[in-house]
Amino acid sequence: MTELGQNLIDALALGSLYALIALGITLVYTVMGMMNFAHGEFIMLAAYALYVLAGLPFGAAVAGALLAGIAIALLAERLAFRPVRNADLSAQLVTSLAVAAILQNIVTAAVDARAQSVETPASLSESTSIGSISVPNLEFLTLGLTLIVLGGLGWLLYRTRTGLAMRAAAENFDMARLLGVRADRVIAIAFAISGALAAAVGVLLVMQTGQVSPTMGLTPVLVGFVAVVIGGFGRMFGAVVGGLLLGALSSLLGVYLPDGLAPFRDAIVFTFPVLILIFRPHGLLGGEIGKARV
Amino acid sequence: MSSVRFRTPQSAAASLLVPLLLIAITALIGANGTPSFQGTVTMILCNLIVVIGLQVFVGNSGVYSFGQLGFATAGAYVAAFLTLPAAFALLQTPGLPGAIVDAHLGALPSTLIAASASGLLAMVVGLPLMRTSTLAIPISTFAFLIVVYNVVANWDRVTGGSSGLVSIPTTTSVESAGLWAGAAVVLALAFKWSASGYRLQATREDEVAARSIGIGVMRERVIAFGISGVLCGIGGALAVHQSGVLNPTTFYFGATVTTMTMLVVGGVRSVFGAVVGAIAIAAVNELLRGVENGASLFGAISIGEAPGLAAIGLGLILLATMIAMPNGLSGGREAGELSWLQRLGLSAPAPPPQPQGAVAGRPRVDRAASGALHAKGVSLAFAGLQVLEQIELRLEPGEALGLIGPNGAGKTTLVNVLSGFQAPDSGTVSLDGVDVTGRSPTRLARDGLGRTFQAALPFPELSSLESVAVGAMGMGLGRRRAVAVATDVLGRLNLLERATLPAGSLPPGSQRLLGIARALAIRPRYLLLDEPAAGLTEAECEELVAILRDVLADFGCGMLLIEHDMSIVMPLCSRVQVLDDGKTLRIGTPEEVQADPAVVESYLGSSFLAATDA
Amino acid sequence: MLELRGVRVGYERIEVVHGVDLSLAQGEVLGMIGPNGAGKSTILRAICGLVRPASGEAVFEGRVLTGMAPEQIVRLGLALVPEGRHIFKTLTVAENLRLGARSGSDGDASMEQALERFPILRERARQRADRLSGGEQQQLAIARALLGGPKLLILDEPSLGLAPKMIDVIYELLEGLRDEGVAMLLVEQNAARTIDFCDRCVVLSTGRIRAQGSRSELQRNPDVLRAYLGNHP
Repeated sequence: MTELGQNLIDALALGSLYALIALGITLVYTVMGMMNFAHGEFIMLAAYALYVLAGLPFGAAVAGALLAGIAIALLAERLAFRPVRNADLSAQLVTSLAVAAILQNIVTAAVDARAQSVETPASLSESTSIGSISVPNLEFLTLGLTLIVLGGLGWLLYRTRTGLAMRAAAENFDMARLLGVRADRVIAIAFAISGALAAAVGVLLVMQTGQVSPTMGLTPVLVGFVAVVIGGFGRMFGAVVGGLLLGALSSLLGVYLPDGLAPFRDAIVFTFPVLILIFRPHGLLGGEIGKARV
Repeated sequence: MSSVRFRTPQSAAASLLVPLLLIAITALIGANGTPSFQGTVTMILCNLIVVIGLQVFVGNSGVYSFGQLGFATAGAYVAAFLTLPAAFALLQTPGLPGAIVDAHLGALPSTLIAASASGLLAMVVGLPLMRTSTLAIPISTFAFLIVVYNVVANWDRVTGGSSGLVSIPTTTSVESAGLWAGAAVVLALAFKWSASGYRLQATREDEVAARSIGIGVMRERVIAFGISGVLCGIGGALAVHQSGVLNPTTFYFGATVTTMTMLVVGGVRSVFGAVVGAIAIAAVNELLRGVENGASLFGAISIGEAPGLAAIGLGLILLATMIAMPNGLSGGREAGELSWLQRLGLSAPAPPPQPQGAVAGRPRVDRAASGALHAKGVSLAFAGLQVLEQIELRLEPGEALGLIGPNGAGKTTLVNVLSGFQAPDSGTVSLDGVDVTGRSPTRLARDGLGRTFQAALPFPELSSLESVAVGAMGMGLGRRRAVAVATDVLGRLNLLERATLPAGSLPPGSQRLLGIARALAIRPRYLLLDEPAAGLTEAECEELVAILRDVLADFGCGMLLIEHDMSIVMPLCSRVQVLDDGKTLRIGTPEEVQADPAVVESYLGSSFLAATDA
Repeated sequence: MLELRGVRVGYERIEVVHGVDLSLAQGEVLGMIGPNGAGKSTILRAICGLVRPASGEAVFEGRVLTGMAPEQIVRLGLALVPEGRHIFKTLTVAENLRLGARSGSDGDASMEQALERFPILRERARQRADRLSGGEQQQLAIARALLGGPKLLILDEPSLGLAPKMIDVIYELLEGLRDEGVAMLLVEQNAARTIDFCDRCVVLSTGRIRAQGSRSELQRNPDVLRAYLGNHP
């Protein structure tokens, strides 16, 4: 029973992490219709910011990482994605691939291709006991952070004027513009938030693994894509559901897979969404591919 | 070989010159080049084969796959297994079955087997993946790439895990790489110009229209995916026999970006583009690697070592291409189609085909139309609005029925229901007595139901002849017969003159006619035309009426005409059905309908009538 | 107030509007009628910046609109109620309205005004917009467009899909707006009502203006019927 409880919390924590990734990708998708390959590199860059700022007090380093994530997202939007905003989706996808490759290799060139270790506060590697279950502090942090993010995002989207503009733009971009919503601003804000979410994920990953590497963003971005796809494109709620499902699957497989198959956990996890797509091509919750136009 | 687009015998030859040149140049390099240069060129050729593999799928289908290098990995490992000397095999891959360990195949057989294995894998993976939606394919293929990586990196006993394999015999010579590359180009061109290749290109140009002429989108994509897998597998196998080492990251993300860059920069839609891109980017890559290893600019500034610089440079090039030059260096043309070659007189657009026999002669219509197209009790509601209510419509073969009504009356929706693009909430549609309600547009096209679309451009990048021939190919005709059918149809519609030029360059009136021609290529029993006269001048309208009259007589099909322009409807249609607000308002002869006050009212409103009477 | 000079618009490679000139004076109500596919909606989209004309220009109060982004054009004092209304279905009625309003107390006051003028919207303020009937949605779309205090209101087929009674309500509303001096450009398929209501009308067919004039001029003009139903034999 204890073990089950333990496993469930682990699953929930991993699922929350994946949900954060999926949310970041969905935000950009809803306003631009583009699946951003470079999101993984936003995560990676924020993690490297933490590495670079390791000398500072931890809180300051995290703040630095957050700023880095936001900055790189805004920069990418302005320089790379804005010029192809009206191109077709394939072109945007390939553009984001290019950005991802560039960012990954800038870090390889500037730092090293090998992983670097990062020191994180000791308290995070410890666990706290609740009853008979011992929960790693990091998982508390992840869960807590996710809840805060969801709450914050919800507040932004449903209680502020900016959020209203974003929701309107997500549903029908042209009509929103006809009501005076500034296209550039809405997209920039979406990217900024996406960058902040990426930074949060980057920081959490560093705390989890204790290291950074230039290719650390690849699996997370795939996770995010897959979560978005199985949850249903363009729905925030779907992204969260997709992330939780994927995280839960991955975590539970990690526990219950027979030893021989254990190294293939990732392979199994990523084959699973293909099955979903075959039966429900629009994702579990359905979604609109393409955006409404006036 | 019948020439379909730009290809006169000269321009086809020009395009095929490319593989010949490749082989010739590599033979030269083999004879005279230094070993290290030969090695570099061999690697470039292996990359080229993979890029061609990428082009076969991405270029023809218009869908991006990020997983093709997974097939290169598969091919590479299979080739390695088959050629690894026993001693090394036992050490590195203890888990391999004995039969494979003992096999010491030569270069050719191992490459062929590797190609088959990756091709098979591609079919197996492609079947489920191509069923997903067009946007999900890039993501699922990306997932495939990572799954392959994951499996290969962790299956230590069989693949040597993340450290990979070494001491693989290096049997690839620059000449053999050149031969394989040449063969790859020929295969890719042959596919592109085959019936299946054309059908796939049609889905790239306009997926909806392609379905309406009977093309199975998923099927064509799977075929291309399989061929692509074979080519990528060959590239991988040859590469591994050049370098002698292999590990899971050899054909992973970095290689995906590199090959994608090569393809995009060269020009996605043509094989020539793949070749140009591969060579150009390889050259740039070598240059940047040189800089990476430390170089001095003008003897004054020296740049220190900077690994990753080459990849950054490549990424920037890809980015710049997407922004400024999305069609790539080749502009999507094959070697024989390049404009400067034409200016030099070395190639020319194919002359328009000659009309076959007397244009007005009655053809052998393959289908004897017997029964009617009958919609009964068709109702459909959208978001709370009743768009169609209990519609009954009957179209007999050989008759023209006009469908008119004000905007929003439901005419296009009705045609969508009849042609399978939308299923009704209730009611039935039957063809010749057979209930076809809910059948897919592809299936209905094969049953003999053709339609045109209001807004769509005919496949812009294909020539008129190709666009129409594709319709016949959708019915399963081979290329030669399809071209014959297309020539016949285009002749009837007076479109032969510019038949070999890209359809997108035609004036709007001709593009409308081309849409009709395309629908006619499937030899329809029933033809649904959605506002064929929209945007036509008066002269063009007259021509359209004459053409449609001939079509009615010669094809014996039933014709449903959505039109606002009564000058088209009057002379053609024996009956007119008026829709208003989702219901049938009136069915009668054109004169009856035009004079009917209720009809005038539905368009103009009652007070107008009263005013004109005054 | 609004002037179009030689406007040509195409989609992809087909030209849909072949050189249209029209003008609208301050406070005037101009109707644009014609059959489907005539190019009416295309002209509106060109004015509002959703599509760029191939040639020609649109000028509003001396400022050239061609080339500006829609969100900038709207700030100049134009508002569009598009065909099909396009209210945001995932937002509530109140949220839909707030999008049109300016921020701050200015906006709150105009919101209050809107709810006064459209009582049905006050009733449904908290409901999701997709729960409204067609007529209510149309009112919402108009209210939302008005919230910006536009000098020129452009409506694309406001009566489409509405029951006759509802159409009367909408036109009453528009009458009230006319009395307040709001200039309007009204696109409709229902010719009679439009000719009746507007100060002047322009008849469009296959991308060209076929006829124009005041109510009395057009009601006797056979070109109008011809534009819709083609030549009589």
